[in-house]
Amino acid sequence: MHDIITQLEEKRHRAAMGGGQKRIDAQHKKGKLTARERLELLLDPGSFEEWDMFKEHRCVDFGMELAEKIPGDGVVTGYGTINGRMVFVYAQDFTVFGGALSETHAEKICKIMDHAMKVGAPVIGLNDSGGARIQEGVAALGGYAEVFQRNVMASGVIPQISMIMGPSAGGAVYSPSMTDFIFMVKDSSYMFVTGPEVVKTVTHEEVTAEELGGAVMHTTKSGVADLAFENDVEALYMLRRFFNYLPLNNREKPPVRPSNDAPDRLDYSLDTLVPDNANKPYDIKELIIKTVDDCEFFELQPSYAKNMVIGFARMEGHTVGIVANQPMVLAGCLDIKSSIKAARFVRFCDAFNIPVITFVDVPGFMPGTAQEYGGIIKHGAKLLYAYAECTVPKVTVITRKAYGGAYDVMSPKHLRGDVNFAWPSAEIAVMGAKGAVEIIFRDDKNDPVKLAAREAEYKEKFANPFVAGARGFIDDVIQPHETRKRICRSLTMLRNKKIENPWRKHGNIPL
Amino acid sequence: MFKKILIANRGEIACRVIKTARKMGIKTVAVYSEADKDALHVELADEGVCIGPAASKESYLSIDKIIAACKQTGAEAVHPGYGFLSENEEFSRRLEESGVIFIGPKHYSVAAMGDKIASKKLANEAKVNTIPGYNEAIGTPEQAVEIAKGIGYPVMIKASAGGGGKGLRVAFNDKECAEGFASCKNEAKNAFGDDRIFMEKYVLEPRHIEIQVLGDAHGNTVYLHERECSIQRRHQKVIEEAPSPFVDPAMRKAMGVQAVALAKAVNYQSAGTVEFVVGADKSFYFLEMNTRLQVEHPVTELITGLDLVEQMIRVAAGEKLSFKQEDIKINGWAMECRINAEDPFRGFLPSTGRLVKYIPPPEVDGVRVDTGVYEGGEISMFYDSMIAKLIVHADSRQQAILRMRSALNEFLIRGVASNVAFQAALMQHPRFVSGNFNTGLIAEEYPNGFNAADVPHDSPKMLVAVGAALMSAHLKRNTTISGQLRGHEYKPWTKLVAKINDDQAHRAKAKAVDGGWDVDVEGEMFAIRTDWQFGEFLYRGTINGEPLCMQVEQRGLVYRIFHWGMQIDAALMSERAFELLKLMPEKQAPDMSRFLLSPMPGLLTQVAVTVGQEVKAGEVVAKIEAMKMENVLKAERDCVVDQILAKPGESLAVDQVIVAFK
Repeated sequence: MHDIITQLEEKRHRAAMGGGQKRIDAQHKKGKLTARERLELLLDPGSFEEWDMFKEHRCVDFGMELAEKIPGDGVVTGYGTINGRMVFVYAQDFTVFGGALSETHAEKICKIMDHAMKVGAPVIGLNDSGGARIQEGVAALGGYAEVFQRNVMASGVIPQISMIMGPSAGGAVYSPSMTDFIFMVKDSSYMFVTGPEVVKTVTHEEVTAEELGGAVMHTTKSGVADLAFENDVEALYMLRRFFNYLPLNNREKPPVRPSNDAPDRLDYSLDTLVPDNANKPYDIKELIIKTVDDCEFFELQPSYAKNMVIGFARMEGHTVGIVANQPMVLAGCLDIKSSIKAARFVRFCDAFNIPVITFVDVPGFMPGTAQEYGGIIKHGAKLLYAYAECTVPKVTVITRKAYGGAYDVMSPKHLRGDVNFAWPSAEIAVMGAKGAVEIIFRDDKNDPVKLAAREAEYKEKFANPFVAGARGFIDDVIQPHETRKRICRSLTMLRNKKIENPWRKHGNIPL
Repeated sequence: MFKKILIANRGEIACRVIKTARKMGIKTVAVYSEADKDALHVELADEGVCIGPAASKESYLSIDKIIAACKQTGAEAVHPGYGFLSENEEFSRRLEESGVIFIGPKHYSVAAMGDKIASKKLANEAKVNTIPGYNEAIGTPEQAVEIAKGIGYPVMIKASAGGGGKGLRVAFNDKECAEGFASCKNEAKNAFGDDRIFMEKYVLEPRHIEIQVLGDAHGNTVYLHERECSIQRRHQKVIEEAPSPFVDPAMRKAMGVQAVALAKAVNYQSAGTVEFVVGADKSFYFLEMNTRLQVEHPVTELITGLDLVEQMIRVAAGEKLSFKQEDIKINGWAMECRINAEDPFRGFLPSTGRLVKYIPPPEVDGVRVDTGVYEGGEISMFYDSMIAKLIVHADSRQQAILRMRSALNEFLIRGVASNVAFQAALMQHPRFVSGNFNTGLIAEEYPNGFNAADVPHDSPKMLVAVGAALMSAHLKRNTTISGQLRGHEYKPWTKLVAKINDDQAHRAKAKAVDGGWDVDVEGEMFAIRTDWQFGEFLYRGTINGEPLCMQVEQRGLVYRIFHWGMQIDAALMSERAFELLKLMPEKQAPDMSRFLLSPMPGLLTQVAVTVGQEVKAGEVVAKIEAMKMENVLKAERDCVVDQILAKPGESLAVDQVIVAFK
């Protein structure tokens, strides 16, 4: 008995050392922590239960039969808690065969994913892998696909989060890409389908890994990643904070964290937020921050499609998703990127019972060939589809412009908006007065005096919230300073909202 | 007494006048430009009249419109505040003609003091000290030496057309005087084509001290002692105090008597200010007289107990002064900081925009805040950059400084930059605290501008303690989240490491106690008691029994803490996280000297260079328009243009790259 315990201790120690001290040092030198160090920071101290520590690869080709078998096979898996709430985790260990994914490595990931589905707990993957273990050939590829299938099955059932903390190239990118959120670490992580060498041979472009698929690129240009962090420690601490907003699965309500912030707190400074001049921008984030609990807003994709703001916050302790047009950027108009950004977020909230608050100040869709050639019709429709399909509580506040088709997209009453408010500054119309008059009164186009009079008339009629109010498209016109109070009451009223969409295999969102 | 008066001004001074009028039972009329329609002074007044577009010329400076507003509202008198039309002779004359009373001096007094040369002559006649000098062109070096001997060294030799440092020499003896005269004349001839040279006494280590006077229409004139205004930045007053730490009773009386003599000489009937330049040897010389209420009048009010606006109104209504010179005492010490919308860390660049957060310190315990804005209001680009005046009153100068320091801690301004940190730094600068300073203090002590490192903190550990308490509060809050595993709930760690400004690390241990935290920072104990709530910017309470107010803000992982002018970023983490963080390589901040950055948000109007062009230091690279002002960006060193990264017509953010150099 004693022997076997000694043997256990030894095995555990060996597994804990991963690829050995030399490789651990090399990992640190690159500014990266090891898989186990990362899990230590991510999870509550002492809460990690590791599984499959002794699992080893079965490959006998290309020298792998001779290579030392490292217990764990390059990925650390198990479960633990974040602030007391359960989560399944896997962390790829770059010190073992460069974190390369083998058949057994994939089996370990699949095992915890299966368990997570059984018990209804989220999965967080810490990715740091050179790719498929080439020596294993198709076995490794099969491993990937096994993981992909589980990602898809888990989608909308349990939250899945990927933290890219090293390379993630080729097939490896597709598991993160199907999870709900992707976070990255600056300077030490990158994601691409083909690396810089292949790019050079095929397209003759010279590009560094950081430029091709670094955290900055993916959070500003491609929109693939949701946030970029400075280093591993910051990334994992912020991930803990992010986790606090998410429910454990789609059958549960999101978590509640009581707040002392009074639901009826008034903020009179909001009464001056919208400038008199309709062409002057203002920062919609000020409204968000002054509305939510404790002024805490966890923004996602802050550097991508900045004309749309998305993120999580709390109202009376309950998680809410916020979607808002940002008048500071491109006047807050809808374009391809911002539509996709918001649509995916709305669908996440809908899947996981998170109410959506929408702040609207949208002058319309962005015109131009770039947008039309890019397929704005279908991409804009994604957001429309997402809002229309969405059954969670939906509260909308129109702060200023709600023009044209964009009005119809941004969670209006007609798309089953539950409570739709407007500020007194709201203008709900097919378009701005000037444009409208130039079309309706085309014959007067050479008579500026007449045109100005028509414009004033149109403004008088539509540049206010009352026309929409008269039709019941707006439930109430509220004072800006009472926005928090009115949203809190609406959400409380909607807490037990239940509606169902008709049965179908699945809808056909315009992908 | 008047039933209704109009205030021909805006901002804090309009609000200040309205307050007094209300106290006196007088109705008020505000005038406002289109840019000011939501301004505080309009809201405070009983009535408001819009007098035109934002530009001052078409609104606050339009005599016609203001007189029309008087007629329209039936205002019997006008208080002009300071600036705008306050020293405009035509304005007071036109008002008089329209039968409206000007709450200020008679137009002839304004006229007499409006001209520099005439006022100096008047002062001489009234036996007021003026700077000795020679006001006719000097012919030869020998004559110059002769004159200098008469005036007494040191002297300043200046060209008639001089300016910008050119055509100016200071001489301490005959030799320097003769040489200085020759070179000055030569320089003036070449630079300005005008070689007329004058001379006057050069005042060493000059202070700027002014005397407040008050006269009525019945021949009574008194002085309300002095104000010390030597703390200036580029001739703009920054801090004012009363009394002056430099003036003794005999000197005060001498200055006061001269000031009154001058006021009487022009039959001065209102509140006015006689400015003196004061030498290190306590000699003082008349500079000019301001025939209006001064920005810094509150410090005089606090030490004398008089309401100067009330006195001005009473005098204008024909009342007699109700007190005599001997009744005017000095009670304690008062100090004023001008809180401006400017960024001290960016060369005091003016800042405009929305006051996203604005919470001035409460007006209790000798703190007074004269302000014209509110949270959600706007600092407009059309007018001056003053947000508020923070004024304190205490028994002694030392106590006044302490009071000001804690009031500055509480002054919360977000959305526009403010000079609060700079004021806090001055308040603890040894030279300021000693009272031994002159008008050169800021230029001498901050020759390269103001930097965050200029502000040392008395107790850095105290900042760590507050950081630890903040982090602990956040961790404790996490224990309340729903959905935790029964029996496996989250237990927050209590041992923390605080990394300050990415530099020093301190160990702290925080224990939750009733109403706060007991924090042990490396053996030093801090008992913090606070009712702070998450999301609040002001962390108020006590620390070891002493009152505490810090400004705190959570930014990602760090807490930004502002206290006594110092701002730190504290990253709080567990011991283990700190160990692991040490393994992370230090990231080098990118070298931005290779780039030309936009110093402010604005419109790029011109890029004056092309790719590959060699640019010499000082050459114009780009122009930005912000706040209707053109800002020329020049190359700081010789370089070659590598890339142009912004197009003319583009709206730039702060620090956006415009041009990259090789």
